[in-house]
Amino acid sequence: MNIAAGILAVIVAALLQLAVMPAFSIFGVHPNLIIVLLIAWMATRGPQEALVMIPVAGFAVGLLDSQPLGLAMLALAPLTLMTNVRELRLVESDLLPAVVLTVVATLVYETVILLSLAVRGERPEWVESILDVLVPAAIVNALVLLPVFGLIRLGSLDLRRQRAF
Amino acid sequence: MHVRTRTWFAFVVVAALLLLLGSRFGVFEPLESAAGAVASPVESALGAATRPVADFVNNLTDVNRLTDENRDLQEENERVIAELSRLQDVDRELQQLEELVAVRGNREADQFLRANVFAREPNNQQDLVAIDRGKADGVRDDMLVLTRQGSLVGSVSRALEHTAWVRLITDPASAVSALIQESRVQGVVVGAADGTLTMEFVEETADVKEGDLVTTSGVGGRHPPGELIGQVVEAERAAQELFQRVRVQPLADLATLESVLVLTSFLPLDPGSP
Repeated sequence: MNIAAGILAVIVAALLQLAVMPAFSIFGVHPNLIIVLLIAWMATRGPQEALVMIPVAGFAVGLLDSQPLGLAMLALAPLTLMTNVRELRLVESDLLPAVVLTVVATLVYETVILLSLAVRGERPEWVESILDVLVPAAIVNALVLLPVFGLIRLGSLDLRRQRAF
Repeated sequence: MHVRTRTWFAFVVVAALLLLLGSRFGVFEPLESAAGAVASPVESALGAATRPVADFVNNLTDVNRLTDENRDLQEENERVIAELSRLQDVDRELQQLEELVAVRGNREADQFLRANVFAREPNNQQDLVAIDRGKADGVRDDMLVLTRQGSLVGSVSRALEHTAWVRLITDPASAVSALIQESRVQGVVVGAADGTLTMEFVEETADVKEGDLVTTSGVGGRHPPGELIGQVVEAERAAQELFQRVRVQPLADLATLESVLVLTSFLPLDPGSP
């Protein structure tokens, strides 16, 4: 896999996010495949490809969703700051930091959306949104990360072999 | 943290802000319209192909049969309730002809445009669906959207050239002037982040019962009167409160909408107009 595969994966994920993911309601929320894909990609394949995929994902989602173009990119931008966590090697596992990052990235993403709604005068219910949306969404995305992480890791065997030698 | 990462973060943020600025002035609308037009058939196909999987995940026991059966029953129930509602209106016509003329309006002259739902807003804060009809088909912002059975779905929040976004009544930013059909008590039906509906500003002394039908009141001119919204499922009265808290169940299953009707013959009043 390479950057082209990453960009293709992001575009497919954006289409799936709008057309398919809303049909899956877990704890009352829909999984965010884009966040999960980006975190799983950076955790298994390193930051280089993920850094390019993040703005592409934001642009692709922005083109397709109902929000102003640029909002999804802004909400995903903090993920660029998370790409170095893997290099810190705080723990031996790649999966554990990815789970934590998914939770953090989801909270940040949904908070940016909430803030944008507040800026546009929609007066969101903060407490309800945090309890009914942010927390469940973070848990659901962390759960969805597990199979996505496994799939990308499986597809990155060549890269891991190269690194091993 | 690497300088490279910080620089890239700054670049992405600046690019996002520039895009936001451009979209505020409608610069990217042609691009978004084109993307929507290209993506909508793909999204429709993806949605249709994966619906059984979604049904399976959402109903882990006796999967498709129960789901289909439930959907059919819900549609049938909606049809029956709509018919009952219509008959109740007709009955009231006999008793209160003058009032009813104002309530029912000119239904026969209404024109509808059928549209398919092909996508939903991906964030969890809002409840919007995308339909495959847009300005080119006569869809305009704020037009009402109904189910095929005739109950209220929401209103068009953003019409693009060939597609449009519809804000569902369950969206937290949705507010619909409503009344309880039996008692004619008025209020405002609002959505919430958890996808439920609440009727607000219902006086504490008002007669509200479980099962009462809730329709649009027409107050404010944003919706025509008499459109079905849902049924009362709970009315909470607190001793110290001025208003009751009335929970309303939408008649339509808004989570699994596949096709809708856009009411093209009713244009809401501009809030700023006298």
